[in-house]
Amino acid sequence: MSMLVADGLTHRFGSERALDNVDLVLDTGEHMAVLGDNGAGKTTLLRILATALRPTSGRLTIAGLDAFGERRRLRHYLGYVAHAPGLYPALSARENLEFFCDLQDVDRSRVDEALATVGLTSVSHRRAGELSRGMQQRLAIGRAILHDPRLLILDEPDASLGADAADLLAGLMHDRTAVLATHDHALANRLCPRTLVLRHGRSLGTATHLRVVR
Amino acid sequence: MNPFRVALAVARKDLRSEWRTREVVPALAQFIILALLIGNFGFQVDSRNAASIAPGILWLALVFAGLVAFGRTFAAEREQASLEAMLMTPASPVAIFAGKAVAASLLLIACEAVMLPALSLFFGTPFSADVVAAVLIATVGMAALGCLFAAMVARVRARELLLPLLTLPLWIPFIIAGGQAVQSAMGLPGSYSEAISLLIDFDILFLVLTSLAARFVLDE
Amino acid sequence: MNRYERAAIGAVALMLIAGAAIFFYAPTDYLQGPVQRIFYLHVSSAIAAFGCFAVVLVGGVIYLRNESPAADRFARSGALVGVVFTTVTLVMGMLWAKTVWGAFWVWDARLTSTLVLWIIYAGYLLVRRLADPGRQAARFAAVVGIFGFVDVPVVHFSVTWWTTQHPGPVIINDALPPQMLATFLFTMACTVVLAAVMIAIRYRIETLVDEREQLFDPAKVLVAREPEPVQ
Repeated sequence: MSMLVADGLTHRFGSERALDNVDLVLDTGEHMAVLGDNGAGKTTLLRILATALRPTSGRLTIAGLDAFGERRRLRHYLGYVAHAPGLYPALSARENLEFFCDLQDVDRSRVDEALATVGLTSVSHRRAGELSRGMQQRLAIGRAILHDPRLLILDEPDASLGADAADLLAGLMHDRTAVLATHDHALANRLCPRTLVLRHGRSLGTATHLRVVR
Repeated sequence: MNPFRVALAVARKDLRSEWRTREVVPALAQFIILALLIGNFGFQVDSRNAASIAPGILWLALVFAGLVAFGRTFAAEREQASLEAMLMTPASPVAIFAGKAVAASLLLIACEAVMLPALSLFFGTPFSADVVAAVLIATVGMAALGCLFAAMVARVRARELLLPLLTLPLWIPFIIAGGQAVQSAMGLPGSYSEAISLLIDFDILFLVLTSLAARFVLDE
Repeated sequence: MNRYERAAIGAVALMLIAGAAIFFYAPTDYLQGPVQRIFYLHVSSAIAAFGCFAVVLVGGVIYLRNESPAADRFARSGALVGVVFTTVTLVMGMLWAKTVWGAFWVWDARLTSTLVLWIIYAGYLLVRRLADPGRQAARFAAVVGIFGFVDVPVVHFSVTWWTTQHPGPVIINDALPPQMLATFLFTMACTVVLAAVMIAIRYRIETLVDEREQLFDPAKVLVAREPEPVQ
C-alpha cells in the first residue's frame, strides 16, 4: 500500500519556483533520501510533505487521506524534524518534551522513552538553550517521535549529530516510512534504498542505490 | 483533545520562560516609568491639571508597552522557529493562540501593576479600584486584537513597522472609552459606568471576532 | 478600443456632466455661498468609498470560505479604489471645513472614523505588499479588511458617544431643495459608476498579474482568462 502519493507538487515564492511539478510515490515502510544542492528545493518539498506548507498547486495524499483537507487528523501519523530545532531555550530538555506531549495529547510518560532513544537522559534537566547544537538536534528528533508516528519527515537531521548519526537514524526509521533530506550521499545510500535528486526545484527522477557522480 | 488544556499548557510554557529569562516585564516596566517621566516634562503636569493629563499619559504608555509585549510574544516563537512546531501538532490553532494571548496579557498586567501605582505616585492622582478595573477591562480586548495582529506580522516582512499600523486604529475605541473611564474615576465629569459598559461591549465584540479569525492567521 | 477603454471614457464623461450640474444647475447655498458645492462630490465619494470597502469585506469573507482567487482580486481592487475615494473625501472635507468651521480639522466622529478608515485600508494595502504573495497575503488581507469594516462604525460610535460637530444626514430629512437633491443624486450615481469602472479595470489588471505570477492554482486562473479575439 502507498503511504504517500504526491502528484505535481509546485511551490512558488513570488515569481520564483522553489519546487516544480514533483511527483512521488512512497510505499509503507519504504525509506527515501532526498538529495540536492542548497536551494534545490529540499526543504520546500519536505515542508510540503510534512503538511507544514501548502503547495501552490498539486495534490498530496498520505495514508489514503487528502493531506491538506485532513491535515489535523494526519498529524498523528506524522513526525517532522524541521531544519531549525524549534525548541524553547529557557525550558529544560524534559520540559520541552512534556509541553509537546500536552499538545500531541499523548501521555507524559513517553518523554523518558524519547529521551532515551535520542541519548539525552543524562542532560534532561538542562535548559535547551544551554545544550550543544547536536544535542538540540537530538531533542528536536525526540520531539518528533513522542507520538510514535508512522511517517517520519527528516530535514537534514544529520547536520550536527556527529559520529553515531547513522545508527540513531537507522533505529528511528526502522518500522516506519521515512523521507530523509541530506547532503551526505554515503548516509543516504546506507539508510535509504531509494533516492530522489532535486535540482532547481525539479526532480531528476528517483533511483535505487544511486551512484552520484560529481 | 481539550482546547482548554492546550491553551493552559501554552500559557504556562510562556510564563515559565518569562519567569526564567525575565526578558519582557522588567524592560517594559522600566519603559513605562520612562514614558511617565517624559509625559511629565512634555505636559508640565501640576496638581491642578494632573487629573486631566494623567489619563492621557497612562493610555499612551500602556498602548506602546502593549505593542511591545504582544509583538515580542510572537516574534520570540518565530525566532526560535517553534511556532511551526506547535502548529504541526494536532492541537487547535485557536487554542494555541488563546494560550499565547492569555500569557501576553498577564505580562502586560504585571507591567500595569507597576504603572498604576507609579502614576499616582508621580502625578498625585487617585489610585482607586475604579482606575484598575477600567485598565484591566480594556486590556482584555486590546490583548485579543494585539495578539491577532502580532501573530500575523510575525509571518511577514517589516513586522516592527506593520504591527502598530494595523493595531493602533483598532485600539482607538478602547482608548476613547478607557480614557473616559479613567478620567471620570479621577474626578473629572463623565459617566464611569457608561464607559465601563462600553468597554465590556468592545471586549465581547473583538473577542468573538478574534477567535473566529485566529484560524486564518495561524494556519497554513 | 477595448471595452475597458470605452467604459473609462464613459465614466469620465458622466463625471464631467455631474461637474456641469454642480456648477451650473444647482443653486448657490444662501448661507454658505459657492463653497457648499463641495458637498456633492464630498458626500458622493464617501458613499463610493464605503461601497468599495463593502466589496473588500464581501470579497474577503468569500475568500476565507472557499479561497476563490476571483474574490480576492475583487477585494484587492476594491481596497485600492476605496483608498482613492477616501482620500478625495478627506481632502474635500478639509477644504470645506476650513471655510465653514474655520479649521481644516476637528476631532468629530465622522472625521475621526473616516481618517481611521483611510489608515486601516492603507494598512491593508501594506499587508498585501509585505506578506508572501499568493494565499498568505490574501488571507491576512481578508482578516484586516473584515476587522477594518467592523472597527470603523465602532470608532464612529465611540466618538459620537463623546461629542460631535459634523452635520447629520441632510438628505433623509428633506432638508435639501429639489434642484440640489437632483444634482446630489445624479453626482452620486455618476461617482458610483466611476468607482465600479475603476474596480473593473483594476480587477482586469490583477487578473493579468495573477496569470503572470501563477500564485494561485493555475487551473483556476485559466478559467478567468477571456477568450482570445478571433482574427
